[in-house]
Amino acid sequence: MRLAFILSEIGSGLRRNLSMVVSVILVTFVSLTFVGAAGMLQMQINQMKGYWYDKVQVAIFLCSDGSTAPSCASGPVTPEQQQGLNALLESPSVAQYINDFQFESRDEAYKHFKDQFSNSPIVDSVTPDQLPASFRINMKDPQKYQIISETFSSQPGVETVIDQRQLLERLFSVMNGASLVAVGIAGVMIVCAILLIATTIRLSAFSRRRETGIMRLVGASKTVIQLPFILEGVIAAVIGAALASGTLWAVAQFFLGDYMSRQYPDTAFISSGQTLILAPALLILGGSLAGISSLLTLRRYLRV
Amino acid sequence: MPCRVLRAMIRFENVTKVYDQKARPALDSINLEIDRGEFAFLVGASGSGKSTFLRLVLKEDRATSGAVYVAGQNVARISSWRVPRLRRGIGVVFQDFRLLPQKNVFANVAFAMQVIGKSRSVIRDTVPEVLKTVGLEGKEHRMPHELSGGEQQRVAIARAVVNRPGILLADEPTGNLDPTTSMGIMGVLDKINQNGTTVVMATHDDDIVNEMRKRVVELKNGVVIRDEARALYTSMIPVVGQSRRLKDASGRETPDGGLPGTGAEGEVQR
Ligand SMILES: Nc1ncnc2c1ncn2[C@@H]1O[C@H](COP(=O)(O)OP(=O)(O)O)[C@@H](O)[C@H]1O
Ligand SMILES: [Mg+2]
Repeated sequence: MRLAFILSEIGSGLRRNLSMVVSVILVTFVSLTFVGAAGMLQMQINQMKGYWYDKVQVAIFLCSDGSTAPSCASGPVTPEQQQGLNALLESPSVAQYINDFQFESRDEAYKHFKDQFSNSPIVDSVTPDQLPASFRINMKDPQKYQIISETFSSQPGVETVIDQRQLLERLFSVMNGASLVAVGIAGVMIVCAILLIATTIRLSAFSRRRETGIMRLVGASKTVIQLPFILEGVIAAVIGAALASGTLWAVAQFFLGDYMSRQYPDTAFISSGQTLILAPALLILGGSLAGISSLLTLRRYLRV
Repeated sequence: MPCRVLRAMIRFENVTKVYDQKARPALDSINLEIDRGEFAFLVGASGSGKSTFLRLVLKEDRATSGAVYVAGQNVARISSWRVPRLRRGIGVVFQDFRLLPQKNVFANVAFAMQVIGKSRSVIRDTVPEVLKTVGLEGKEHRMPHELSGGEQQRVAIARAVVNRPGILLADEPTGNLDPTTSMGIMGVLDKINQNGTTVVMATHDDDIVNEMRKRVVELKNGVVIRDEARALYTSMIPVVGQSRRLKDASGRETPDGGLPGTGAEGEVQR
């Protein structure tokens, strides 16, 4: 009975305050979309880092069947060449610059590739023998990349030496900057959302002061009096959060998935499914912001 | 003594209420007892403190000093989450009815039961019964604007008593009504009082008070200047300042500053 009563009170409150409720929905929608966009940028950065990015700085790719580099003219790397490279990495002249190194076989390379590009159409057209084996090196000082490059580029069986970090670091700093901007806009919008929710709840409490006055006089509990107002704000904010989650999903599905991954086939993009991880966070964030701001407003403007 | 404490439904001990430090107190050292089942008029000019008295009973405001007991319980000691329980034991009606305009008669009365979680079936059984008590049979589906002032006040009374409170407070309930209609309302209040509810009614309607011949407590500038059983609106006894001894309902003299209520703390139920 009491639940049915509270629900009908919420319904009438939402109807009576429709334009305000719609603006709360829109403001939380926009603010949480920016929060989610920042989250998506970070996820995209992680996706592009792939398996090795945080572990090593330099990769020495070995010649494979499909290598076209002049240094691979004699065909794929032989086991002897590979052992020679291993010995060179362990020799004191090189070892002093590196923390450690790992060997990535073709099968491992294929596995890591599949993980990183799981969302891209390219994954189906690649086979293990198209991917080179490599040594992955964790440098003591990443600035000493030149030394490794000079030592290994001319070694037999080496196709190329790449400083992976340098390739991606500038892009990541741009994306991190964009994340910060998104977080900044989100912050301002969240302040707007909180103020708007507070105003909406205040108006709602004012327009229903006759009901709440009677409820108080006949001994309704604080919960019964306040809950419809709080839930009114929370429901509006949760709808906004759901719209934001849907928007992020659509961006990943249609913009990244369909358009961007066709434009940049060699870049790994996050999948639309991954963005759904953000949805619960946005729903909880929106709901709790609305709940807290409603509660604080009611403490000032609704006598119980 | 303990017997008297138990009998008192409302008890004011040296109660002073100051709203504004610069003005005189709204109530000034009030000592008063209203017994279970009693009907008492609170009379006095506008601004004499009648509404303030009723607000203190409801714990709508805090006494500046002194203690207010309702059913043996010091209201100052009731924690805020238990105030609703106190108010469930007290019905209130006002001069301006305070009905919900978009709800019909039945829904207005049912509202008071819904918000404290009464079940649908209990509501369906109780509301028609209470509407019958206040003389509104067959008008369940009228909207408030389709009712006369007297009928609206009957709805308000029905709402106030539908949860069977032990006390009914009425703040100038006939203030907006013509004399004939007012007498009808008094009949309803009297009937509710006969059923065992303690009724305290603030009014400055002398005809009603004279007609009813109930206990009259007269306030002036926040001070009780008269307390007479079966009395008239204006005193028959010449008043000499405030030194005159006050009498309670049974005609006994009320000593000033009685002992604090030590009796059992009961529910406000009749
Ligand atoms: N909320 C309030 N704030 C300040 N003063 C008040 C308030 N309520 C009542 N008063 C003052 O207290 C005195 C008693 O008022 P009230 O109890 O309403 O009298 P009555 O109901 O007998 O007309 C008056 O002087 C009034 O101005
Ligand atoms: Mg008054």
